[in-house]
Amino acid sequence: MVAADIQDHDAVKWLGLYGDALYRFAIIRVQDSFAAEDLVQETLLAADRSYENFSGKSTVRTWLTGILKHKIVDYYRRMKPEQGDENIEDFAYGMDDLFDKKERWKVKPGDWSGDPKNLFERKELMTIIYGCLAEMPGKMSTVYTMRELEGAETSEICEAFQIGENNCWVILYRARMLLRRCLEVNWFGGKKERS
Amino acid sequence: MRHWLFSCKKITALISLSMDKELSLYQRMGIRFHLMMCVLCRRYRKQLFFIRSILDHDDSADDQPCKILPDDAHRRIKKKLDEEQE
Repeated sequence: MVAADIQDHDAVKWLGLYGDALYRFAIIRVQDSFAAEDLVQETLLAADRSYENFSGKSTVRTWLTGILKHKIVDYYRRMKPEQGDENIEDFAYGMDDLFDKKERWKVKPGDWSGDPKNLFERKELMTIIYGCLAEMPGKMSTVYTMRELEGAETSEICEAFQIGENNCWVILYRARMLLRRCLEVNWFGGKKERS
Repeated sequence: MRHWLFSCKKITALISLSMDKELSLYQRMGIRFHLMMCVLCRRYRKQLFFIRSILDHDDSADDQPCKILPDDAHRRIKKKLDEEQE
């Protein structure tokens, strides 16, 4: 597969072809039609500026959706009242209490037997995931989003952030730890209380 | 054989690493051996892959077919994009 054709670089055409789909995708997740419109706009502008990064490995629609997911995480972050500037090295955050001195689990992973089965539950879960990502230190959630929502290789992420690959893996590890814990508390914990 | 016994903390890091790169045989055997004995790390591994599968399939925008981008928003965004290209 060769790199994306330059002739396909047409943001106005994308708006016509995928605008509605992107809008629906956004509105389900932010529950606000005006915010969803803005997110579509931001996504298309960002896509227009970064078309050279589009590998052509996926469809344009998938690529645009990946960018939109990123914008949704940013949106949730902006909703939060205060947000300090954090250092990429500062990912010890929230990890201290998970293991004891012998490196055994202190906060034991619960049993997630109630995996969400229907679409409604999956959507609710996605909302919680976006909320959890927004609570992470900014660069950590960006690295995680690039990896898990956009499917970037760690080597690409390292290059984008100018960090060593090992550092990148550590950040992803911390992010997965925090997200897992956040979901356990906010989704599976909440469900237990409700039933 | 003592070094075969990775701690839970190290195993969780290795499991995460396995999602980003190919592990060595030694690392893979270490994980397998540990998971045979440790229900908590088994849960952890299952949950990490569960989260990944949820994120992978998060493309479901077609369940609200009635919602379309309003015309005025469409025009506004088009105008922005046109400005951008000048």
